[in-house]
Amino acid sequence: MTAGALDARVLAAIGAYALDDDAFLALARDLFAYQVERNAPYGAFARAAGFGADHLPERIEDIPAVPAAAFKEARLATFPPNETAAWFETSGTTRGRGGRHELPTTRLYDAALLASFDRMLLADGARLRYLNLVPDPRERPHSSLGHMMGVVARERGDGASGWYLHGDDLDADAFVRDAARAAAAGIAVCVATTAFALVALLDALAERDLALALPAGSRIMETGGFKGRTRVVDRATLYAQASDRLGVPVEAIVAEYGMTELSSQYYDTFASRARVDTRVKVPPPWLRPIVVGGDGRPLPRGVVGALRHIDLANRGSVIAIDTEDLGALTAEGLVLIGRDEGAELRGCSLDAETLLARRG
Amino acid sequence: MLPARRVIAHVADAAERWCDADFPPRVRATAAIRARLGYSEPVVDYALDRLFSGVTRDALEAAIASELGSVDALDGVAERRGAPAAWARGVDRVVVVSSDTTIGVAVVPAVFALCAKCGVVVKDRSDALVAGFFASLAEEHPAFASAARAHAWTGGGDPAETALFEGADTVVAFGRDDTLRAIRARCGADTRFAGFGHRASIGRLTRDDLAAFDDALAARIARDALLYDGEGCLSPHALFVAADGAELARVASALAAACERVVVEFPGGERAPAHEAATAAYRNLAAFRAAGGRGAVFRAGDAALVLDPPRDEPPPFLPRVIPLIAADGDAAIAAYVAAHGLPVQAVGVVSADAAAVALAERIGAVRVAPFGTMQAPPLGGHHGGTPRIADFVRWIDLG
Repeated sequence: MTAGALDARVLAAIGAYALDDDAFLALARDLFAYQVERNAPYGAFARAAGFGADHLPERIEDIPAVPAAAFKEARLATFPPNETAAWFETSGTTRGRGGRHELPTTRLYDAALLASFDRMLLADGARLRYLNLVPDPRERPHSSLGHMMGVVARERGDGASGWYLHGDDLDADAFVRDAARAAAAGIAVCVATTAFALVALLDALAERDLALALPAGSRIMETGGFKGRTRVVDRATLYAQASDRLGVPVEAIVAEYGMTELSSQYYDTFASRARVDTRVKVPPPWLRPIVVGGDGRPLPRGVVGALRHIDLANRGSVIAIDTEDLGALTAEGLVLIGRDEGAELRGCSLDAETLLARRG
Repeated sequence: MLPARRVIAHVADAAERWCDADFPPRVRATAAIRARLGYSEPVVDYALDRLFSGVTRDALEAAIASELGSVDALDGVAERRGAPAAWARGVDRVVVVSSDTTIGVAVVPAVFALCAKCGVVVKDRSDALVAGFFASLAEEHPAFASAARAHAWTGGGDPAETALFEGADTVVAFGRDDTLRAIRARCGADTRFAGFGHRASIGRLTRDDLAAFDDALAARIARDALLYDGEGCLSPHALFVAADGAELARVASALAAACERVVVEFPGGERAPAHEAATAAYRNLAAFRAAGGRGAVFRAGDAALVLDPPRDEPPPFLPRVIPLIAADGDAAIAAYVAAHGLPVQAVGVVSADAAAVALAERIGAVRVAPFGTMQAPPLGGHHGGTPRIADFVRWIDLG
């Protein structure tokens, strides 16, 4: 099957925002067959696991999943380097290396992100002004988050979007100025922000003794992102403070969960937005989460394990990605669990974090 | 105040009771330790056996004599060859802060402090292991009821804890770097502080070792590596092997077979999902590399041996994951340790010869241990490179 034919099928699922189990499996198998033949490192990995184009997985749970860190080890792409249309930089880890998620086209990526965003953040059809506390794609073209909000702002914004995060520095004065302008004009805004940038914004507002009253219909999209930061604020506190300082109801603060190695995103369910303690996330129809144990086998509902994602929009790389993120599946959807919860170390051995801290 | 030899005798007698796995206080402590840490029962039993079986009269007296010249020095002025006669008078107040992640680490310093006739307060953990042992001591002699106290309390800014640290002559603490820094900052200006931080250990197989490599040696290495699920400061977190290619794979294969047997004797403990996930991710990444022709992964029950991980990565420090790193000579080992800034506690070797000592000296290690003994440090050794009893006495010289 050709790339074009596969893309057409994925795009059809995105357009319909529907894909039943049988169709998901069929498309996943075809994508798997395509990827093991064209993505050499993945093909070798899959063959070592006993699968290949001539031996397709019977269930999506059986699709060999590469660890997310594999993107730092090899070029995981189904096309030659000279056909790379865009690439996103994966974050470094405690071991320091970054990696790339390369795309042969942004068509699937952009279609997937817009379809989800439309349903999960713009269900009311609002045309908002986007005040972005995420990397500016003009400054950091290889930030997947920056790209995502660039596309959203361009396609769904009112043409007056702003970018306030420059490196690690937040231009709070510009944000306050632009938020006030939007408020004066009665234009509802969407504040797209990492959790850490939101903390920085709230700190800046507190320093200025400012509380904003964003226009009705305004909302916040929070994308997580405390990794590697020394200051972590629990989500309930963060949302309560954001609601107070920005004048946005808690239920209009929506958490997005995604990763550079994926092309699709999860969002809080509408039903769970009224609370902040246990938000539940749902994927779009072409993305499926599987919670696995240490042996890689799926865990029953309600049991916490590592998250594996099967993202059919990852046609140009690998559709099955294993992560170290933790979660549990419930009848409502996916509940993310913080990595530190219940993760107290045992023994008197050195650990990676301590070693990193010692090395400065 | 009891003479030192009587203190030692009582301590040894109490320890002997704790060597019995059916001794009721030990049974209770075993269950509580398991509940606290999640280690399997054989591992906890091993830890308690090792802990208490080493506390004998002979071992205590030998350790004290080696540091102070004689046991008698603890009771009054004693002659010392080539030095003024002196009294190793125990300090008044010793505080021992045990670690919440380990088994019974506070017992040994507490025992030596008692032998020095110090008043000892131990910050115990929820399993109340030290309190249980102190109760046994008080049964041996009522003087211990006031001299040895152990209870659990909340740390951090607890004013009572601060007062305890400020008033202590010596504070012994176990824990992570930030914990030790915080405790040290709260000690008085004259307080002696002995901190035992988290450390790494390594194993080393030379070409000569490989020539004689057999199942028995593999079993000793596997036991050292898998006890405490590889989470101890004496666990070999990386095994350096003077081989590569097929020879390295042969060693890994034999070690994997040995690990299969060890995991039966010492089953792995419970693991938090985050640790499960991190371990799986590391193993799967190694499998990904192996599929591309770099290294290999050998599974052995719940353990994994990872061959030839990238040199620019430190050891993973994950439960029951043993990286095997090709290193042709001690210079390569030293270079790896230096590159990653590893604080090394012990070096596991086949022969504790001069070359092994030179390697230990070069990389900052404080112990060279034959494989099979890494997890069994002798009571008279210098854990962490420090003395056992010297920090608990104040010398009064005559002349």
